[in-house]
This record gives sequence, structure tokens and C-alpha cells, in this order.
Amino acid sequence: MSESQSILKLYGTDRSTCCQRVKVVAYEKELDLSLEAVDMMGKEHKQDAYLAKQPFGQIPYLDDNGFTLFQSRAICRYIAMKYPNQGTKLLPDASDIKAVSIFEQAINIEQADFDPNASGLTMQKLFLPKRGGKTDEEQLKKHVDGLRMKLDGFERILSKHKYLSGDEISLADLFALPYGTKVEICYPDFFHDSSRPNVRRWWDAISNLIMNLDYQNLLRDLDPVQCTLAPPNRDNCTI
Amino acid sequence: MSTTIKLYGAKQSTCSQTVKVVAYEKGLNVDIIPCNFAVAEHKSAAWLEIQPFGQVPYLDEDGFKLYESRAMSRYLATKYADQGTQLLPDLTDLKAMALADQFMSVEASNFYPYTSGIAKEAIFAPMFGGKTNPEALEKHRSDLKAKLEGFERIFAKQDYLGGKEVGLADLYCLSMGVLAEKVFSDIFDDPAKPNVAR
Repeated sequence: MSESQSILKLYGTDRSTCCQRVKVVAYEKELDLSLEAVDMMGKEHKQDAYLAKQPFGQIPYLDDNGFTLFQSRAICRYIAMKYPNQGTKLLPDASDIKAVSIFEQAINIEQADFDPNASGLTMQKLFLPKRGGKTDEEQLKKHVDGLRMKLDGFERILSKHKYLSGDEISLADLFALPYGTKVEICYPDFFHDSSRPNVRRWWDAISNLIMNLDYQNLLRDLDPVQCTLAPPNRDNCTI
Repeated sequence: MSTTIKLYGAKQSTCSQTVKVVAYEKGLNVDIIPCNFAVAEHKSAAWLEIQPFGQVPYLDEDGFKLYESRAMSRYLATKYADQGTQLLPDLTDLKAMALADQFMSVEASNFYPYTSGIAKEAIFAPMFGGKTNPEALEKHRSDLKAKLEGFERIFAKQDYLGGKEVGLADLYCLSMGVLAEKVFSDIFDDPAKPNVAR
């Protein structure tokens, strides 16, 4: 924990996947993050005061001494860039343009080739039923098959180096954790397919980072005390 | 004099077009080397060695290879920061870079899924022998319309996603945005959203 960090306030909810993404990165950077609860049930995120900070009415946004920022991946990049010398190194050296570009490539791989199917699958299989809705089996299959196909690409990448952007872990790997963890709740062996040994190795490495039980439970959407699925949050705006 | 950048892709691929637009703004020469789709070149072992998802395009500049259109674009904007249009802020300006990252992420999560969904249903599906799903198309259209309310709030405060000037995030919107407009000609021209229209 750093004594010299500014007060970082994250406006969101405990169980929002995008808030978890920021929390994971803050944890790796040994930063204190103050979670400010947004009253989703009371539609606080749709009020003008909130829309002035986050124009899409989504969570989370960050307030760093009056500097506000939204989009969880941008928030993560900001705190990693602001505190490069503490915690785990999660960004390449800015002066190495090739390393930076391979890093950007990995960042895009997570956002374009992992997130859409991982989040779609999670919505159909986990979130919708929890909120009293119905799984669209066709959509679910599309996301499951789609993610499997993309993991073939991941297998090719991870056969060449340990993590998505090289042999060191980076933000790109951590960005996959929150939805990846939820995919694993839905399908426990999803990342342990024998045809993709490198995906398995990578997934075990990044999911084992969060050794702190509270964080493991948080990412798995479990109540840390009872270790069961938490009651549904019907207005969970997880984008 | 700049080196010639080789882009292995397709003239009509929206991702290739994004890289071309960025290269154009930076005053760079780009050679498009067409992928031979007829023989599924993009699924060949040689291609997969370079682009592991079997997609187009990828870039080759003097042997340095890169894929993902936004990563390629950012590479060009960074490497050639001093020529052509400035598309990124000073890389050492923490807050300016954070805002640039914010709006590039906005494009990827709050624009592209819906514009590409529209293009996929209305343009690409029929083009490749499939059928438009009218329900899916309408959902993409109404989702995009709702997201544009967020963009309206942004553009009420600033001229571009890049701030006072065009930035990478604005250029990223172009290739799929243009296709969405071909399908729904008034999608960006809603009188309720004058700043989006502007």
C-alpha cells in the first residue's frame, strides 16, 4: 500500500464486473481504492448529476481529486500509468515503441476477441436468470462456440509467450479476469480444454494471482461470508 | 521520406479502411496487398502464424508485424507523431492520454458493437449468402440510437472525441459509421441530437 497515492474514488457497485476490473488492477498496483456506492435501484446513474460525469449512465467512473474518468479499461490504464513504480509492472516501457504496439495489440485482443463472447455468455447463462429473465439458448450457443473459436487464436498466441503481450503479465491479461471468472462459473472446464494447454496454463497463472480469498470471492460474485451466489442485483448495469 | 507500409487485407474490409484513413491523415504511403479469400488464405498456417485469429488485416513495416486495426492505427499515430494530423495527445501527458483512452474505449464499447451489428445484418449477411434478421437489425438500431444520447452529451461539451481536434477515436468511428448510415440514412441526423449531427 502506498502512502503517497492520491485518494482514488471509484463510483459503482461491489459486484459490477467493470468495477471488479478496476479493483483487480488496483490490487496488483497496491493502491487503495475507495468504492463509492451508486444507488442503481434508485436510478442514480440515470440522473443528470451522474450523467455529467458518465454520459452513458453506466458504472463505474473514477474521481481522482476532481479529475473524472470513465470506461473501466481507461481507468485501469490511468492508474497503471500514474503509479508505474509500485506493485506489479503492468505497462511496457513507453520508449519501446514495438513493445508498446504489441501491448496495444494484446489490449485490443482482449476487448475485441474475448470480451464480446465472454460477456454475452455471462449475460445469457448467469445474469439473465439471476434477474428473473430467460436464457436465449441460441444466443448462448453462439457465444460459447464463438469464444471457443477465439480461444484457438489465444492458444496460438500463448504457445509463443507466457502472456498476451509477451513473457510478462500486463493489463491485457488482467482485463480478461472478471468475465473469464464468470465464464468459469458457468462452465468450470472452459479454460481447461486439453486441446488448448497454453490457454490452460495462462488462465491458471492469472486466476491464481488473486490469492486473497476476498478478491477471489468477489470476482466469482460470491458472498465472502456465506460463499454462495449473492442475491440478484436486478438493476446491475454491467457494461 | 517514409517507408512504405504494407497492409495485408482487403480494400473493402472496414478494418483495413480504418488503418488506411489513419495512414492518410499521417501522410503515409500504404500498399494494400489483397488477401486471397478464394483460397481462404487468411486461414492458412502461414497467415495464422502472423494473425492467430485468421482475420484481416495485418500490417508489415520493414518486417515488424502487427494486427488489430486499432493497435495498428495507434502504432502509426505514435511512431509518426510529428507528421500529418496529430491524432494522439503528448504521450507523457497523463490526463490527456487518459481521456484519449477513455474515448477510444467509448468507440469500442458504445459505438462499434451496434454499427457493426447493423452492417453485419443489413449488408454483410446478404452479401455472403445469408439473410438479414430484422429483429436483430432493429435491436442494433435502437441500441445505437440510445447510445447516441451519450454521444450527444459528450459533443455538447467538446467538438470531437479527441477534444478540440479530431483524434484516433473519431477516426475509428468512420468505417462502420459510414456503413450504418448507408443502412439508416438519418441515424446520425436526428434533430434531437444536433451535436452528434454536427
